[in-house]
Amino acid sequence: MLVKAAWGVAGGVFVLWAAATLTFFGLRLIPGDPAQAVLGGPGSQASAEALAAVRAEYGLDQPVWVQYLRYLGRLGTGDLGSSYSLRQPVAEIIGAQIGGTLLLAALSLAVAWVIALGLAVWSTRGGRVAAAVGSALEIVAAAVPHFWLAMVLVLVFSTTLRWLPAVSTPGPAGLVLPVLTLALPLAGFLGQVMRESVLDALEAPFVLSARARGESEGGVRWRHVLRHGALPGIALSGWAFGWLISGAVVVETIFARPGLGRTLLNAVQLRDVPLVVGVVLVVALGYVVVTVLTDAVSRIADPRLRSAS
Amino acid sequence: MLTRAPRRGARLLGPVQWVALAVVVLLLVAALAPSVLAPGDPFAIAPAEAFLSPRWGHPFGTDESGRDIYTRVVHGAAPSLVIGVAATAIGIGLALVLGLAAALLGRVVDFAVSRLLEVLFAFPGLLLALLVITVYGPGVVTSTIAVGLATAPGYARIIRAQARSVAGAPYVEAAVVLGRSRARILGRHILPNAVVPVFVLVTLGVGQAIVWAAALSYLGLGAEPPAAEWGAMLFAGKNYLATAWWMTFFPGLAIVLSAAATTVLGRLLQRREVR
Amino acid sequence: MPTPVPARRLTAIASLVTASALVLAGCSAAAPEASAPATPVSGGTLTYATGFGEPTCLDPHVGGNMPQALVGTNVLESLFSQDETGAIVPWLASGATVSDDGLTVDVALRDGISFTDGTPFDADAVVANIEHMQDPDTASSTAILALGKVASVEAADPLTARFHLSEPDSALQESLAQTWLAMESPAGLARGMDANCAGPIGTGPFVFSEWVKQDHVLLTRNDDYTSSPAGAAHEGPAYLDEIVWRFIPDPATRFAALQSGEVDVIDEMQPADVVAASAEGSGFGVLTGALPGASIRLELNSGYAPFDDERVRKAFIKSADVNPGIQSLFFGTVDRSYSVLSSSTPYGASFESEYAIDADEANRLLDEAGWTSRDADGYRTKDGERLTVDFPISTNQSIPAEVSLFEQIKETTKAVGFDVELHPLDLSSWYGALAAWDFGVTSAIYTKNSPDVLRILYHSDNIQPAPSGYHPNHSHVSIPELDAALTEAGETSDPAEREALYEEAQRILAEGAYVLPLYDHLSKIGYSDRVQGLSLLPTLQIPYFGDAWIAG
Repeated sequence: MLVKAAWGVAGGVFVLWAAATLTFFGLRLIPGDPAQAVLGGPGSQASAEALAAVRAEYGLDQPVWVQYLRYLGRLGTGDLGSSYSLRQPVAEIIGAQIGGTLLLAALSLAVAWVIALGLAVWSTRGGRVAAAVGSALEIVAAAVPHFWLAMVLVLVFSTTLRWLPAVSTPGPAGLVLPVLTLALPLAGFLGQVMRESVLDALEAPFVLSARARGESEGGVRWRHVLRHGALPGIALSGWAFGWLISGAVVVETIFARPGLGRTLLNAVQLRDVPLVVGVVLVVALGYVVVTVLTDAVSRIADPRLRSAS
Repeated sequence: MLTRAPRRGARLLGPVQWVALAVVVLLLVAALAPSVLAPGDPFAIAPAEAFLSPRWGHPFGTDESGRDIYTRVVHGAAPSLVIGVAATAIGIGLALVLGLAAALLGRVVDFAVSRLLEVLFAFPGLLLALLVITVYGPGVVTSTIAVGLATAPGYARIIRAQARSVAGAPYVEAAVVLGRSRARILGRHILPNAVVPVFVLVTLGVGQAIVWAAALSYLGLGAEPPAAEWGAMLFAGKNYLATAWWMTFFPGLAIVLSAAATTVLGRLLQRREVR
Repeated sequence: MPTPVPARRLTAIASLVTASALVLAGCSAAAPEASAPATPVSGGTLTYATGFGEPTCLDPHVGGNMPQALVGTNVLESLFSQDETGAIVPWLASGATVSDDGLTVDVALRDGISFTDGTPFDADAVVANIEHMQDPDTASSTAILALGKVASVEAADPLTARFHLSEPDSALQESLAQTWLAMESPAGLARGMDANCAGPIGTGPFVFSEWVKQDHVLLTRNDDYTSSPAGAAHEGPAYLDEIVWRFIPDPATRFAALQSGEVDVIDEMQPADVVAASAEGSGFGVLTGALPGASIRLELNSGYAPFDDERVRKAFIKSADVNPGIQSLFFGTVDRSYSVLSSSTPYGASFESEYAIDADEANRLLDEAGWTSRDADGYRTKDGERLTVDFPISTNQSIPAEVSLFEQIKETTKAVGFDVELHPLDLSSWYGALAAWDFGVTSAIYTKNSPDVLRILYHSDNIQPAPSGYHPNHSHVSIPELDAALTEAGETSDPAEREALYEEAQRILAEGAYVLPLYDHLSKIGYSDRVQGLSLLPTLQIPYFGDAWIAG
């Protein structure tokens, strides 16, 4: 058991190291001078002395592998470095931005789950028409580009009906449209997978035996079928996390929400290497954590996995 | 998901499937011979006829430069589908190599590939795409490659699992016992059974690839203007959403319809496959 | 000896109103005859949403770009200001005396002004500011360039700052009027770059009190405000309690936020939204002004093929039919410009006939230049090479309607055989392409409140890149007569002579087909009807909130 846990931790550390390394060298390929990011961005008419001073200060005049080793060394002590463009420790920036993105992602995932499960259960019990409608809704939802969905939601609910704010506001109202934008397409994906599972479960022997034991239809659905339907959804949550982070880049830009997605986009455009690597590391860490969690939840929810382990 | 038995009484071609088939045929015609459906020039501008709502002569209306949106949607099928199909092909091609290597070349390779997939998975797909595009410049080719790379790890996982389950299947074990050569086992038993279902994934992935390419266009990283590509048209039209809804509605409809139709057909193939 | 502030009112420059149907309600916002209740109300919070990016540093001495100037103008004030004709008027300075040789400028300062941290504003403060801008460690780009001829500054007496110049500079006072050269508290500067970037301290009607990155900057009222600019509607502290300065990059979302009431004022409006918000009874108004400096224009890279051949440049300009597109894409909100200078910058000269469309002539010129054959796609070729023109577009600078116009240029020039390739790029990549001269034509913004912008953009000295790779002379123009005219115009202070020299310079540019002017770069501010007393400071057409208040 301990050995297994140790392997898990080692695997997680490996993922983080590889993600940092890939990003570090990936950004080296991008044309553009990081020293300029420090000096007010591209197009600044920075003097030669200023550029040289900055290169020396940030170690940019060193060979790339020296910079890399230094960076890794600092990373080892938990220091993410300092952002070129925002002149602030990366950890501080991420700390300020991560809450908004996590809240957005968590809410979107939860709403997507509710929609997907609801749709799956409703459409599997409502006969052929309901099945066709449910299936069509899922497929269409999964096929809608989220930036377009966002604009349509703003047009309908903010500009025309004036029910909901178009940009982030301190209260919960500002979260509604961004969450819907991310949740609807995601619900389409999850719904497609869950429905297959629910249909399988409805024909499975354990449901037959439950029915034979005289359990009510509602009881059967809640206790067995839903749980069975949820399993692939849980397994997909790790993937959904990455999907949501990608979506957050778009959604945070459209709805002017502070968050990691927007930070990442700006940082890439400004060639702010420490900030990009920092965000990537945090996202990778999030992915690792979510994967561990979903494995654990799957074990609890799926008796077969429990007995196997 | 791929090994599920066909449901009792499930007919192969219901009305939904027929519609999907019709959409795909229409798409193929639009992609291969757009002039048959829309003889006009998708780039011809007419500033005096800008922002016309749908009407006779302009069934889908006109855009901000007076270009005919119907013509552009039809001519947009080819680049949009090429992006979708090519990105999926890149993703699945890479995934095949990685997935099969992991499943068949022993534990060390499997371990290495699995870790690599973990790392790729931990990367937000859009960041991978952003990096590729900032390095090589925006455009159809780079965004296609970017989307392909971003989708590869997902496919690779499925293929690895599939190949492993096939490799452990009784008929493969039987072949091993019978002393068949490795190459023969791979070619006769494992490849067909592990790889063929993957082609189903292609149809499922094409729609998604088109949608992601559209997202890149929104960030200004997709096809270069004035390309008649659906994502780029959506991007140009979103600024006029309140005044000229038709500029985004029709390209949006084309994306949703083609993504949905290919998904439906993909499912159909999936069922046939398991039979 | 404080100088009384002239009682002229700030008004928006309304030069752009062409279509009679389009009555820009904004022009009446600052005018006295506005029908709104006349008594301003104190208090309240105003939310401003900008489409310009978020500054990475709030001190406009550092770097020096438009986002910094926008948010900084209501906090940091300048020595001089300008009226709507572009003439210099005093602000923190009360006047200036130039010596006969033009090499010494005494700037007299107003008495009794303090920075919001209590530091008195005096000649020592001016010296500290100029030295801060010129210090390489500050990494200034805009201010340091504007101060290129300033050798040193000294405090001649507590209220006189003496500028020593290396050569005469007719644009010095205009330069000093820009927010990028605003006066900051020396005590604030002494805190070091990081602290000062987070909240520079000025003399303005508001102070920086909070900056939540990627969300907003909070400006709160300076209750001891005394230094209203020329033309302000009232003296003393502002009416608003605070301004929430938000960053909303997407133009459609920004307008939606204005419409749904989350924000009160937005900038960078899209043409269609300008029309919608200007409509009678829409509940919104629009304030517009032409940003000074260069007009929005295409720069033809004359240093490299194919535009190193004047005939090819002329053929391009004669085939790029932009007028119908400007009309339809901008809904009559902008006028076609035939001048390299913005209409709000003095000494602009129009050469309309040089920009007449003539496809036959374009074809003839291209034939003459040797681009005689055409390939299968209809593009001209010479020695097997296609007549390709790369057009990198900065997605940060060019608004969507502009990109659509560029698409139309691609289409109309295609008729005579040009293959214009549009490349939308992020800011870093775009500057990269420019620095490498890897383009045939491009569109770049340069805002400066002086015709001296011509020297920056078209003097051959500025072909040589700065160490950062940036070269303002994108057209790669190198003509000795042009250089001479621009240098001389920058040194003389005789208005008639300046006018003649600048006209000569613009004639050379027009006749050599180096630039295709399109229209003025407009500041387009949309606001809710409840916002009263909003105006644009003429210097850089930036909204001024010292007189603004919120009705009911």
